[in-house]
Amino acid sequence: MKINGVQPTFTHNDRYATLPLASDVTSVALGSRDAHRRTKSCTSHPVTDKMGEAEETLKRIDTHKGVIGTIVVNAEGIPIRSSLDNSTSVQYAGLLRHLTTMARSTVRDIDPQNDLICLRMRSKKHEIMVAPENNFLLIIIQNLCE
Amino acid sequence: MAEVEETLKRIQGQKGVQGIIIVNSEGIPIKTTLDNSSTVQYAGLIHQLVMKARSTIRDMDPQNDLTFLRVRSKKNEIMIAPDKDYFLIVIQNPSD
Repeated sequence: MKINGVQPTFTHNDRYATLPLASDVTSVALGSRDAHRRTKSCTSHPVTDKMGEAEETLKRIDTHKGVIGTIVVNAEGIPIRSSLDNSTSVQYAGLLRHLTTMARSTVRDIDPQNDLICLRMRSKKHEIMVAPENNFLLIIIQNLCE
Repeated sequence: MAEVEETLKRIQGQKGVQGIIIVNSEGIPIKTTLDNSSTVQYAGLIHQLVMKARSTIRDMDPQNDLTFLRVRSKKNEIMIAPDKDYFLIVIQNPSD
């Protein structure tokens, strides 16, 4: 019997062969040792899980009330994830990278044991938050009044 | 002048506030609650940072301008309110 066009590969228990939903197939496949080895839908790899978590977090921030855009910038200053258009992302990434470096050196000049956690700039039109971490930057632009 | 003093006193009285510095447009501290060397150090470094932050905002949008800056670090938080001729720096311990 095919479920959503896919023939289930587990055979040791006939009870599972009558499930109507594809999601049930996956959860049952993960619970069954034989099917787990054969199924291709298993995604419990640690790197994939972490990426999924990161994507989910970005999505949650993006859909937050008042958020105009989110940009993730890598160590080379290239935006790797952005909810804005490419030219704006590249402009923000470049400018904010320099500013963050300067803010970090300001904090360290005052106290060498200290380090920057977050930079928030409020302007007339919106607010920009920058969180540096491991040479990466998370930039969030949000509206003022929300 | 009395109003300014009252405001400064009110801010200083807030829980966690470690120091307040008022700096003029040239980066010279004109009022402070910290010792001289810390004041001069903060004033100089933060003046440069504010100038850079302001030009960053203007580069993104020439019609826009910086109204407030918060630098949060592991040990404290520095808040800067820039104005036309002066800027106000407040250093606080956010966990207090």
